[in-house]
Amino acid sequence: MQIGQRMVGDVAIVEITGDITLSKGGDVIIKDKVQSLLQQGNRKLLLDLGNVSYVDSAGLGQLVQVYATTSHLGGSLKLLRVTKRLKDLLVLTKLLTVFDSYDDEAEAVASFKK
Amino acid sequence: MSEARLHVTDAQGRRVVVLDRPLFMIGRRTSADLQIVSTDVSREHAEIAQEDGRYLLRDRGSRYGTFVNGEQVTERVLQPGDRIRLGRTDAIELLFVTESAKTTGFLDSGTSDAGDLRQMAAILNGLRALGSGRVLDEILALVMDSALEVTKADRGFMMLANTEGDLEFKIARGRGRTMLPGTTFTTSEKIPREVFQTGQSRIVNDLMDADIKDKHDGTIAIGIRHVLCVPLRVTPPSSAPVAARSERVIGVLYLDGKERSTMLSKATQSSLEAFATQAALAIESARLYAESAEKARIDHDLKIAAEIQRNMLPDPVFEVGAIDLAAESIPCRTVGGDFYDYLEIGERGLGFALGDVAGKGPPAALLAAAVQSNFVALAPVSSDPAETMARVNKALLRRAIDARFATMFYGAVTADGRLSYCNAGQEPPLVIGRNGVAWLETGGPVLGLLSIATYEFATVALEPGDLVVVCSDGVTEARNRAGDEFGRDRLVEAVRGRQGRKPEAVLEHLIAEVKLFSEGAAQADDVTALVLRYRGRG
Repeated sequence: MQIGQRMVGDVAIVEITGDITLSKGGDVIIKDKVQSLLQQGNRKLLLDLGNVSYVDSAGLGQLVQVYATTSHLGGSLKLLRVTKRLKDLLVLTKLLTVFDSYDDEAEAVASFKK
Repeated sequence: MSEARLHVTDAQGRRVVVLDRPLFMIGRRTSADLQIVSTDVSREHAEIAQEDGRYLLRDRGSRYGTFVNGEQVTERVLQPGDRIRLGRTDAIELLFVTESAKTTGFLDSGTSDAGDLRQMAAILNGLRALGSGRVLDEILALVMDSALEVTKADRGFMMLANTEGDLEFKIARGRGRTMLPGTTFTTSEKIPREVFQTGQSRIVNDLMDADIKDKHDGTIAIGIRHVLCVPLRVTPPSSAPVAARSERVIGVLYLDGKERSTMLSKATQSSLEAFATQAALAIESARLYAESAEKARIDHDLKIAAEIQRNMLPDPVFEVGAIDLAAESIPCRTVGGDFYDYLEIGERGLGFALGDVAGKGPPAALLAAAVQSNFVALAPVSSDPAETMARVNKALLRRAIDARFATMFYGAVTADGRLSYCNAGQEPPLVIGRNGVAWLETGGPVLGLLSIATYEFATVALEPGDLVVVCSDGVTEARNRAGDEFGRDRLVEAVRGRQGRKPEAVLEHLIAEVKLFSEGAAQADDVTALVLRYRGRG
């Protein structure tokens, strides 16, 4: 799994490529990334999951965890380009309603301004 | 043929030296065959020459004289039991002894000693075959003592490489079967390292040799001058796969002494090498034994954990009034992250739950136990399934286990067939009966992650004969060898047309179908299912 980051205005976009699974340590990488962004004062986080092929239960747990951590600090964490497979998982676990998710980056970035 | 020795008593203590050269020099000089440091001893004090099988002691013009049995001599043929004194006092005494051919056998002494070592190696080999790793240290100490006895070295060390490849002392023995105190010792650092790296034995006759002297000051300072160092080499058995049949050096055997003695003979060296190979194998098998013992301990703990987990689950078959049910949980490892439970909750009827914790193995099993206990404690004091779920969620959040969560389905059936339920992210259970198939999806998000989570419950009316089938995702996501999932359609097929049958029969058939489907593929997840039947009143 690879993780990258870029800023669009004051929105930090975290780009994830590969599987988010316990066995590949993806869950911990995401946690560390989000925590460091929060420590740097970022409060608007957008996770781009367009290149994520598979998320296991540990990965899913971590996505919710970083969402909760961000909310707790008064920030917001949203999802961009959720794949069909992850969406099914979010529906099954009834977590889809928890996240704001977008297919279009510009629209997602704009949503933070509301 | 006989072997002559001197039992030496001086300021350094007692020791034995072998008269193994035609001309044996005794003196204060460091190059002497027997060096004795004393102001009473001249640099070249005396010599013992072997002539025609006799041992001739000659004074080399020493300042304070050479005495045999109290009598000053310039030249004397030594007899066994002769006491040689150097200088003016009794502080330095050399007792001359011989071992007749009768006691050492017909072989010459070197081969005889080497034979002892080979015997020792054979014993070691036998012990290794027994795989008795616990007594390894004692065996090695015993063997070290024999090596010291045979070589007449003063000290013996076994050094093993740690994971970083640095040599560490494993055993340190001195003459007279003593354990040398301490954890580090002054030995040559260079010689063992070289032997370890090259796998070649080293014999160093005299650390005073100019080219290496400066590197061994510490060793020379304590009087050590002769070193024999052989590699501890592990040669895998010929039965091992060719790729794994390479030799490895795991450490070194290091012997040193103040006197030249027999440790420097070629015969001793080759026997010691053979012995070192056996010792290396013994150490290696002890290491494997220790690893397997550790593994056995963990396996044992896991078996107990699995037993506890099974005992935490209620009876697999239960019946009360109009309701009967059957459940089964098959962990994919020794312990699993799935659970089921049921309990009577007064007028609200029978409550039943099935849960699944993210992950597998012991961590999941512990969290599953926590979820299950919370459920059992909170269900009876909640007014409806949604409240139970919200309470379980909060209870898990209070014990915040980083990013770990559980899914759970909880339903309660009354005697008149009203099923109230709440589904927290669990694979939806199905109700199958005369009215077709219905999936039970109402509820809320998975448990243990979100403090803001809210839960809803729904109620459905069961008809007599209706079956409720709850399962973990290990059932629907079971894969066959082609990688296809069992899925919801196969689940429906497996139970369709079986309404009215006993739940245990339906369950048995379902599990059999899942096993048949995934035959040949490894079970990737815990498989748990619960089947409940509403029989109707009267």
